[in-house]
Amino acid sequence: MSTATTSDPTSTSTTEEVRGAWRVVAEREISTRVREKSYIYSAVIMVVGVVATVVLTSILGGRPTDYKVAVTDDASAAIVSAASTVVDRTDDGSTAKPQQVGSTAAAEKAVRDGDADAALIATDDGYEMVGKDEIDSTLSTALSTAGSTAALKANADSQGVDLAELQKGSAVSERLLDPADGDAGARQLAAYVFLILFYITAVTFGMSIAQSVVQEKESRVVEILAAAVPIRAMLWGKIAGNTLLAFAQILLLAIAGIASLAATGETGLLTALGPAVGMYVVFFVLGFVALAGLWAVAGSLASRQEDLQSTTMPGQVLLFAPYIIAFSAGASVKTVVSMLPIMSAMLMPSRMAEGGVPVWQIAVAVVVNVLGAIGIVRLAARLYERTLMRTERKIGFGEALRLSE
Amino acid sequence: MLDISSLSRSYDGTLVVDDVTFRVTPGRMTGFVGANGAGKTTTMRMILGVLAPTSGQVLWNGSPITTGQRRRFGYMPEERGLYPRMRVSDQLVFLARLHGVDRAEAARRARELLDHFDLGDRADDVLDTLSLGNQQRVQIAASLIHRPDALVLDEPFSGLDPVAVDAMASLLAKEAGDKPLLFSSHQLDLVERLCDDLVILSHGKVVAAGSVDELRGTGPERYRVRLDGSDAAWIRGLRGIEVKDVDGGTALVDLDGITPSELLSQLVAKEPVAEFTRVRQPLSAIFREVNR
Repeated sequence: MSTATTSDPTSTSTTEEVRGAWRVVAEREISTRVREKSYIYSAVIMVVGVVATVVLTSILGGRPTDYKVAVTDDASAAIVSAASTVVDRTDDGSTAKPQQVGSTAAAEKAVRDGDADAALIATDDGYEMVGKDEIDSTLSTALSTAGSTAALKANADSQGVDLAELQKGSAVSERLLDPADGDAGARQLAAYVFLILFYITAVTFGMSIAQSVVQEKESRVVEILAAAVPIRAMLWGKIAGNTLLAFAQILLLAIAGIASLAATGETGLLTALGPAVGMYVVFFVLGFVALAGLWAVAGSLASRQEDLQSTTMPGQVLLFAPYIIAFSAGASVKTVVSMLPIMSAMLMPSRMAEGGVPVWQIAVAVVVNVLGAIGIVRLAARLYERTLMRTERKIGFGEALRLSE
Repeated sequence: MLDISSLSRSYDGTLVVDDVTFRVTPGRMTGFVGANGAGKTTTMRMILGVLAPTSGQVLWNGSPITTGQRRRFGYMPEERGLYPRMRVSDQLVFLARLHGVDRAEAARRARELLDHFDLGDRADDVLDTLSLGNQQRVQIAASLIHRPDALVLDEPFSGLDPVAVDAMASLLAKEAGDKPLLFSSHQLDLVERLCDDLVILSHGKVVAAGSVDELRGTGPERYRVRLDGSDAAWIRGLRGIEVKDVDGGTALVDLDGITPSELLSQLVAKEPVAEFTRVRQPLSAIFREVNR
């Protein structure tokens, strides 16, 4: 069984009417969905999740620290100031600031009360660092280095020795053959967050397409709809409406992510992830359009809501496979899969977040996804037309492919 | 003018609609009757383009119908269906817009139809909170919402009480006006009362089609005769008639070659006649006959 949806090219006014029908369908999809509380709640929860992830990562992952060191004289204060540059060796913006107090007792009190991270007290044979139960190793190293350098300088000056000359050849520098990216952990996390949000959003909106189709079959309203508009227009409307909603949600999440990165001062990470976030949104739309076709077919194969569990299986697998691959497969497998249709939409932005993806691979993934989306939606349209009016029982994918026009 | 021309449809090799041809004339209510499984619903679905015919075509004003023209039809499918969780007026406006009506006009029209059914105050209620009878009314409203050029209604009166049937019939007569209206029904008395034209389908074939009057006239001219005497058996001897039944002074005869007045004068010549009446076959008799 199939449907006659032949349009007449000679009657322009009516074909124009037919052309606009998908918009009416899309509008209904959107207006029905945004009225659902579950839709609003899930969007809000996901935005909160993204913001919380960024903020927590920022707090746990080496925020700049401003050390306060209690001192009793100017010489100690100068040493603390000198230590500040050592503290900031990793360029994370950390500082060490002297805090003048009247006496050693006052300095100890400040440390004990937690007003200062440590105290630097001049003694007869040098300096003493005072901490509460421990002294932060970065601060302690910086203070000892600055302290001994200052002492050396003073001694050298008093003996008329050129300190620079004395230290000549003593510098030991460091060179790493394979330096670790300071943001590697954060990038990895971003890659997983990309995957998880893609998966959740695509499944949520995919299911809503399938459900909306099967509801029309179950309630039999589909026959009135099919008499009013070409079946394809119904499919376009459903794909357009739900893609727009899913896109809006992903865009909202991307903006929330970028905004919270900017707000927490993670500008370095923002610059590194920016392009990946941008491509993520693009890939999501391409991947979702192709999937939307499959989800709509899943709905039209089913005759009742309960059938969706089995008819949505191909869509579920296509979404879950990249998820598994991202977590378990080797680099070469990931590279190949990240250039296959649909799956690459999930994997490629995730790889981009990790960094080091050649531009040509990104280009291949985009092209493959565009072609894949076109091919899959066209196939979906055929299957949808053949199966939508069969309300009596569930149909398999294979059977649908074999059905004649 | 809606013409159904040699429509056939087979499922897996079984012919369920077999070369069906008939015309739905504008301004005349056309009833579509037949036993269950005769092919009425399949034919109607093909008229609407919801189902593709195996062969044959549907003509609108003489040429093959287009999708755009079909979109101007009003359709009520056998299996009723609207969105159960959508508000009544939203649903009507949505359907109207699918048919190409703009939003403001659709809203006006929805209000008008709901008022006609005294459902104006339920416009913002979700459909499945309405009683089944009221849902049926909304369903009819859905088929009329875009002021269709033709109406194809599958069993529009099923499930309605007699008062509702009358209200529905008068609305349909008003809405259809001078447009073609085809509706199927298995309630023959209703069809007889409402329809101008009739198409009878049996096992996928049209077995009778025409105006109700014509169809009732297709049977033999039958007269009931009551004589003053107590035994009418003697009329079996008259020529030009076929006596179907004699019961005391009453007989049922079919004319077979003579006119009613010739028969009457033969009768009066022998015996006073108390009653001489034309017996019109009810549709149910025609229906039973063609479905044998």
